[in-house]
Amino acid sequence: MPPEPLTATFYHLPPPKSFRTVCTLRTLVKSGTIPAIIPNLMPKITVDGKLVEAKDRQMILQACLDGNINLPYYCYHPGLSIVASCRICLVEVEGIPKLVPSCQTPVRDGMVVHTRGTKVIANQKQVMEYLLVNHPLDCPVCDQAGECFLQDYSYQFGRSQSRFEEDKAKKPKKDVGKNIVLYNDRCIMCTRCVRFTREVSGQCELYVDGRGHREEIDVFPGRPLDNQLSGNVADLCPVGALLDKDFLFKQRVWLLKQVPSISPVDAGGENIFLEQNEGVVWRVKPRYNPDVNTWWISDDTRYSYKVIQSKSRLTQAMRTQYGAQVETSYGKAIDDAVVGLKAATTESGAGSLYALLSPMMACEEAYLLAKAIRAIDPNALLVSGPAPTTGEDQVFKHYMTHKETFRIKAEKVPNAAGIRRVLGLLGGPTATWDEFTTATRDDIKNLKAGWIVGNYLSSWLPANLPAPLKKGFRVLQDILPSDFAGKADILLPSSCWAETDGTWENHAGKIQPYAAAVPVPEGVLRAGDVYYTMLNRPGLYNAQAIRQEMGKMFTSVQLPSDKEAAPAFDFVEL
Amino acid sequence: MKDSDILILEEPHLSLGDQFYLPQVLKGLGTTMKHMLKVLGGTDRVIQYPEERREDMPVEDGGMLLQTYRGVHRLNKDEEGRPKCVACFMCSTACPARCIHIEAAESPWDDREKYPQKFDIDELRCIYCGMCEEACPCDAIELTHEYDIVGLTRQEMIFDKAKLLKIYDETVKDEPM
Ligand code: SF4
Ligand code: SF4
Ligand code: SF4
Ligand code: FES
Repeated sequence: MPPEPLTATFYHLPPPKSFRTVCTLRTLVKSGTIPAIIPNLMPKITVDGKLVEAKDRQMILQACLDGNINLPYYCYHPGLSIVASCRICLVEVEGIPKLVPSCQTPVRDGMVVHTRGTKVIANQKQVMEYLLVNHPLDCPVCDQAGECFLQDYSYQFGRSQSRFEEDKAKKPKKDVGKNIVLYNDRCIMCTRCVRFTREVSGQCELYVDGRGHREEIDVFPGRPLDNQLSGNVADLCPVGALLDKDFLFKQRVWLLKQVPSISPVDAGGENIFLEQNEGVVWRVKPRYNPDVNTWWISDDTRYSYKVIQSKSRLTQAMRTQYGAQVETSYGKAIDDAVVGLKAATTESGAGSLYALLSPMMACEEAYLLAKAIRAIDPNALLVSGPAPTTGEDQVFKHYMTHKETFRIKAEKVPNAAGIRRVLGLLGGPTATWDEFTTATRDDIKNLKAGWIVGNYLSSWLPANLPAPLKKGFRVLQDILPSDFAGKADILLPSSCWAETDGTWENHAGKIQPYAAAVPVPEGVLRAGDVYYTMLNRPGLYNAQAIRQEMGKMFTSVQLPSDKEAAPAFDFVEL
Repeated sequence: MKDSDILILEEPHLSLGDQFYLPQVLKGLGTTMKHMLKVLGGTDRVIQYPEERREDMPVEDGGMLLQTYRGVHRLNKDEEGRPKCVACFMCSTACPARCIHIEAAESPWDDREKYPQKFDIDELRCIYCGMCEEACPCDAIELTHEYDIVGLTRQEMIFDKAKLLKIYDETVKDEPM
């Protein structure tokens, strides 16, 4: 019989009132609303003879991981509730007769923990053996191979041979949602995914069906895994059971190199890794940042990489000659653009130029373009580009406590705040997009020529062009074709965020750098290099140098350390 | 790209001797004469390839053993004539010359997840080390004894899946090492 929809909630009845009171008290103490009765301690524990400093109420496992002590774990995830069901993390604690799950045992000052005792090792071997009883060992065709906890722990804590001689149980593969496929026989029932859909995305699509060896992850009939955070379950699945359909079979993970980057799809500034091989980005993975996106990213971010390799990317510089666009070389196009802008200034005097700074540009690029335009016309108007929104933020909540867990910003551009900051930094005449489009101000009415930057991930201009864009000499830098691109006097195909270094400021004022992951397509010059050419600066565009130049508010920005940028998985040294 | 990533190469410096063209010509001619004299004196010999082949000669006479020779690759087939390869990329990962290019896709058969949609080996780049054979978990790739492969263009020497499977049909009776 098919399971009734939403039976899952019955397994999690709300905790009793008294327990809730304790929880509320703790929250109040933590937030500093009421003074703590018990002072916060910094307990010290000894792990295998090494002194480890833990935080108050931290679990042994987390303290060990923070102290660089390697302990195996499957079901524990710092972003989810603790269930202690996989039992591979058991350790010996002096004074406790049995092994305890380190992921669920809080530290106590002076605790003595042994992680490599005979009992512990025997337990690890047994757990590994049980997990592998019905495991298909598909590693050659499994997408997780190379970043699989089961492989790593098998190597580090398991045994090299199987004693199981009977036939393995075969479970079918299941389509659980738009982006995710489930290989049931590879699942180790850690329930991370189930807890994620309850505690973070809050829509409870996944549940555990059956018990014992019949236990399976499943979705309710007619309720597929379909929400903006669904891709995260493939990231947090420790094995190759939940996989991303988009990445399925495309590459092996050990071939990919991670480059730290920022999400281009909204103002949230989610931290990501772009994973590339041979100049092609194959997938996007979340990069942990406790202040911004924690462990998760939205699906829009996850699939935003497609535009980088889009077949329709602009790659040919164009210029308009006798009313029709003709192909031209990139260098000539830049020269023509500068000549055209200069001609407009000499003809109509200062204040006749504008630069439309797109919120898809890096702060450094916006700064350089503004400098280049103001070098031609010191009174040039700086306009901040349109920042489309979808109305309201999309908020995800814990399924029971209704506490907010994740927020997808409604503003669908990454750097509107950064552009405002650059405009403020430079001063002089500026305008917002609304002021620019309504064109009631005199200085906007008098504009004669301009430099327009697009770089949006989809079409961005309204069908009926705003008045100032309809006339005069227009230079367009963009990545995707559009009506306007076909009309611009000079068209310069541009680089997108994955191809250049820069910084973006998110909605909360956090300035975050990103690094170039792949080279620009053939026929394209990086935006930064175009501005360097216009300003006659020597060398290549160097984001760090520009940040220094822009002043104090940008110099404190540092790229993530090399360690963070290194692949998340370790290679086994042979 | 950063400034430090740019490598500026200079033209190699030619000494005075190098710039006089004649000494180098004479040096080359000398090498030719040396070999000619050796052949005439009987210490060297010329093999009239392809009529004469080294594998037909005894090893003591400068012949070679085919059993240990690593020649062009083949992609093995299973009993049903399908490629055995599961597109695991092990061979291309192990390959020190980076000459194996695979594109994987979902397999059209029920008993298998993945199969190679494209499988190209650049036989000109390959150094015939046999690492791919060693790495393959399915015995799907093997080096045969064929060594006289020819092509008129570089493109022709990039062997695709069809060609590699054809080599299997042609060499199926051989027992590669
Ligand atoms: S889940 Fe891990 S151990 Fe299992 S087949 Fe995939 S890579 Fe291998
Ligand atoms: S599908 Fe993955 S995350 Fe979910 S229970 Fe199975 S192993 Fe854990
Ligand atoms: S190692 Fe074998 S199975 Fe794997 S891709 Fe290469 S030929 Fe195919
Ligand atoms: S990690 Fe502790 S029991 Fe699973």
